[in-house]
This record gives sequence, structure tokens and C-alpha cells, in this order.
Amino acid sequence: MVDNDIYNTVPVTVLTGYLGAGKTTLLNRILTHEHGKKIAVIVNEFGEVGIDNQLVVDADEEVFEMNNGCICCTVRGDLIRIIGNLMKRRDKFDHLVIETTGLADPAPVIQTFFVDDEVQLQTRLDAVVTVVDARHIWQHWEADEAVEQIAFADVILLNKIDLVTAAELEELEQRIRGMNAIAKIYRTRDAQIEMDALLGVNAFDLNHALQIDPEFLNETAHEHDATVGSIALVEAGELDGEKLNAWLREILRDQGPNIFRMKGILNIAGEDNRFVFQGVHMLFDGRQDRPWKPDETRRNELVFIGRNLEQMDLARRFRACFVAVPSGD
Amino acid sequence: MPKAKPQDLLKLLWHQTLSDYVTAISWSPDGAWFAASSAAGEVALYAAKTGEITVLQEAQGESVDALAVSCDGAFLAAGGQAGMVWIWQLGGGTPTLVTTLPHARAWIDRLQWHPQHPELAFSLGRYAQVWDATTQSIVTTLNFESSSVLDLAWHPQGDRLSISGNQSIKTWRRRDWDDDPIVREIGGASGAIAWSPDGTHLASGNNDHSVLVWEDPNPHPWRMQGFPGKVRQLTWSMPKTTPKATTTAKPRLASISGEGVVVWTKDRDPSIGWNAQVLDMHQGVTRAIAFQPHSLLLASAAEDGWICLWHKASHLAQILQGAPAGFSCLAWNSQGHAIAAGGSRGEVFLWTENTKGKGFG
Repeated sequence: MVDNDIYNTVPVTVLTGYLGAGKTTLLNRILTHEHGKKIAVIVNEFGEVGIDNQLVVDADEEVFEMNNGCICCTVRGDLIRIIGNLMKRRDKFDHLVIETTGLADPAPVIQTFFVDDEVQLQTRLDAVVTVVDARHIWQHWEADEAVEQIAFADVILLNKIDLVTAAELEELEQRIRGMNAIAKIYRTRDAQIEMDALLGVNAFDLNHALQIDPEFLNETAHEHDATVGSIALVEAGELDGEKLNAWLREILRDQGPNIFRMKGILNIAGEDNRFVFQGVHMLFDGRQDRPWKPDETRRNELVFIGRNLEQMDLARRFRACFVAVPSGD
Repeated sequence: MPKAKPQDLLKLLWHQTLSDYVTAISWSPDGAWFAASSAAGEVALYAAKTGEITVLQEAQGESVDALAVSCDGAFLAAGGQAGMVWIWQLGGGTPTLVTTLPHARAWIDRLQWHPQHPELAFSLGRYAQVWDATTQSIVTTLNFESSSVLDLAWHPQGDRLSISGNQSIKTWRRRDWDDDPIVREIGGASGAIAWSPDGTHLASGNNDHSVLVWEDPNPHPWRMQGFPGKVRQLTWSMPKTTPKATTTAKPRLASISGEGVVVWTKDRDPSIGWNAQVLDMHQGVTRAIAFQPHSLLLASAAEDGWICLWHKASHLAQILQGAPAGFSCLAWNSQGHAIAAGGSRGEVFLWTENTKGKGFG
């Protein structure tokens, strides 16, 4: 996904959300909005969307395993096939939206864009957008799918806010922020939202700055009642490239299934450029970014979103990757 | 377009256009004409000598992705995004649409006629069906089950139909469709399968960047790895002489993955397995490969706008150009005298042998 010519690839928005959250309403908004973009849509529940002159394709959720059962190597075979066919008409649409079923695991959808060479060459993942039913989500915290759809998101719509009190909404937003420290959260009614907040987000573009919610960083204590959460590490200092590599390799290998997403900007000792990376489960995509500016604080920022992160000892292990400071300090 | 040089193998005979990406090309058995389809939904016949076009279906917004002419040249089948299989009867005079087989919710992108009978196998989501043109009816519906059907291939003797998808290739026997299929397991998903022309080997191109080859009936395949991406198409060379001759060259298996073309030759020593030769020339994703019938001349078409002709499937003999936005498909006629190719902007080309006095058929 790194070296794609951004002008030759079609941006893809993945739309997720638990049953009844308002996904279809949002999809119809995208399709009817006068944004001047020609949109192709891949849906899983045909018939609910029916807009004239729009390219709507029906898909069956088919998860393909690449390597003997490893969840990190699962892709969506139906999407690969349909995107391959659709891209023959790439000049016929500007943006692709994939609507997943309410019970879909978002990981194989996202991994498809990292793993399949043909899909990678022709498209680029723009953002994962998750619609949350502000009232009924409380009944779904036990469902892995509902939680993971939030954890994987770049953009979250807290929808149906007219059905909850201000206090309930605040509590929900806190809880979601604890799960996902990087997503942009919008409060909506009837999934009403500016199209700019949805399309063209470039959340998977490594050139795009990592944005950790400042509030998340300022809070001293997060609610970690749930097993899915975020950990953000922000520290100045120089990292030992080899130590860092060894540690990242180890957590990807041992903890890949529990790490949903990670993102970071790093200051590697001896390098003039920032190192930027992102990961989805075991898939890792990292490279040299622009040079650090002379007046810029060389600060490392990492965010992990996943399950049982506390048990990974991330902060201590990360600090152990810093270049040893000469004694006498 | 530069004039053909004397040493060139092929020269351009004519060039036409459809309105969008050319998705498939299929020749008549006598080499007198071929059919082409487009992503805009067009289906057209072209007379090889003149390029004269007969439009069977106009652009209709939904793509036609698969085309096949029956072994006797009497029928043309097409399938695509509309979830429809169209079958035209071609013998004598005007082609007529004899039937349409509608299937809602399925994007039909694989179809193949039986090598000896007018029986058409086509993909239909997680199923494949076989339709008999003689009785105009569905002979069988095969449930692949584990995923959508990604590819299908008749055995050259026509007694079996192999279907590939996620985790396996399943082969049904034509004499008893209801019998359980033979299952060949794969680590990943098989997106392309091909039986060798002598029917002894089955090859599978997989999404985990590998090729598997089974020598029938041995259940243990050879595994070839090291591809830059998923393996998207496979093709076998046809023997030069009769299959009975013992001196024929070993068959080659050509594969495409990413920008690469890799040709495999089975070593005489079974412990060595297969030797690879990488044909490194294309600078865009390769879209199609085909051996000239009964020869080792290999044609590869790519998004870089080149068709490369590889002498003995090993060194570059000629480059054909004309589709600046890339070639999408190609097919030799069964006589091996001509290549028809399609481009991503609807271009349709015909190149013929650069030898005076050789005609079609």
C-alpha cells in the first residue's frame, strides 16, 4: 500500500456497523449526495440499496485463509473477485464503498487491501467507517463483532443520539475512546454527516499524520473494564533500530491475533527521517517518512488497539528499545 | 504502427475498437472468425480476414466477462455481471440467440465448453452448472460448497470437470455427476486451473503465491513457490507431434504472477521436479499468456502495452504494440497462424503470420 501512485488507485471506504445501527441510511446518503463523485458499492444485503445509475454489486461474505488457519492471513475472496472485475471499468467510478454485514469481522476486509497484490495495485484503503447505535450498543458489548468494528474504525458515527440522554452519550463516547484512541468520533442523527468527514479521509496513508486524541493522552486513567482497548505511547528519545525491530517482530508473531491495529511515528537513532508504520493483526507496513524538521521535537508516538493489551507490557518493552543513555546522567 | 520487418513472426492485419475494456476473446475452431466481449457488455464477432464485425449484443452497462465457442463452432456462450448466460447459435447465416439462462445475484465469469460435446460448464456463485445444447437443458448443478467457483476446467478427454475455489479443487466424473467429487486440497485458494493437453497433469495457480501440479492419479502434488503475487493464469504447451510419439518435447507450463512470466519444465529426474525459467520483460501486470498450438512459441500480454512473443518459451522474438493503456487478453487461433488480442480501452487486434501465401483455415 506504500508506493501506490495515489492518482492511479481508487479509494475504498469500508462501512461497518452492527445490525440496525444505520449503515444503510448512511450508504443511501453517500449515494444520493451531490459530491460529484461516481461511487461503486459492494453490498452484502442486496435490495436495501436501490439508487438509479449507481453501480451496486452484491457480494457473499467469503473468508479465504492464506495459510493454515492463521487469522492474520484471512482475506475476503468475494471482494478480490468483484474488485478485479470492477476495476476493468475503473474510469467509470471514482470511489468504492464496501458495506459489510452487521456480523462481519472487519479484519479480513482490511487485510484484503494489504495482502492481495492485484487489489493493492488498483485500490487504496481510505478509511474504515463504523456506525454505532448510541442506544442499543449497550446490548451488544458481548458481541465480538460489535466491539471489533469499533476497534478497527478510523471514523465512528455515534448515531441515533436523539434516543439517548447527554449523560449516556458522554459515557458512551468515553468508553469508545478508551477502545479506539485514533478514530474520529462524530455524533449524528439519522447518520447525517458531512461527506468530507467520510470520503477522502486517507486514514491508511502513511503520509497522513497519526492523530491520537489529545484527551486520550491527557487522561491519567482509562477505563479498562473491557478487554478491548487502546494504548498510546508518546515519548521523546532515540530508538535503537535493531532492538525495536526485534520487539515488533516478537509482538507481531506472538500477539498478532490480539493486536487489531497499530500506528506509529518513530525516531530511530542515526536516521534523519521519521519512520512511520501501521499494522493490522500480523500485517506490518512501515517505511521512512519525511525528514524531521530542525525545530521539531523528535518524539515517538505509537498507538496499539487490541485485546488484552495490558498483558503485553507494551510501555516497558517499548522503553527498553531506546538507545542506552551513556552513564553519568 | 511500424511496418513489419522481414524477421518478424507476426504482422498486424487489422485493428478495431469496442467501447470498453476487452474482457475475453474466443476463436472459432476453423480460425475463420473470433468473438470478443467488453466490460460495457458488448459481444461481437469478427471475420479474421477482413475484420468485418457482427454485433451480437450492444453495450448495456453490465460487463460480459467470459466467452467460449463450442468445439464444433456451432455455439457461442457468454456470461457476465448481469448474472446471465447467453447462448447464440452460429451455424449458417445470421447468429441467433437460442437461449438465456438467468441467475440473479451471480456474476458469471467462468465458462467452458466440453472438448467434444456441445455441453457448457459455467460458474454460478458457489455452484457450477452444465448445460446441454442438444437438449437445451441443465444436465447437472454441482455444489462446490467451500466458496464461490473461481475457475473450472474440463479434462481434455471430456470425462471429468474440475472446479477450483478456496481450499480445494474438486473433480466430478461426467458419467455420474451425482457421485462424490475427487478432492485435491490446497493451502490457500486456487484461482486458475489447467489440465495438460495429454490429460496427465493438473496445475493450480493459488493466492498464496504458489503453483501446485498433480500427476494424475498421484494425490501428492509438486509445489512451486517464489512468485511475486498470486498466480492468475496457467497454460500448457501442446505436443508438437502425435501424443504417441515418444520423442516429443516435454510439455511446458507457463504461469503469470504480478509482472512476471515463469515457464516450468519437468525434469527427467523426478527428484528434481520442475525447473523454472523467468521471462523478465514486462513492466506492467501480465494479463494473459498463450502458447501457439503445437509449438513452444509463447505469447504474453501485459498492462505495459506489450505482447511479447517468446521463442521456445525462453527468449524474446518479437514485441507487439498498439494498446498504450495495456493489453487485457489474447488468443491464438487453433491453427496457430494468428493472434487476436484485446486492450483495456476496447482495442481489438489481429496479427497474422508474416509469411506470404498462408491464409486462414
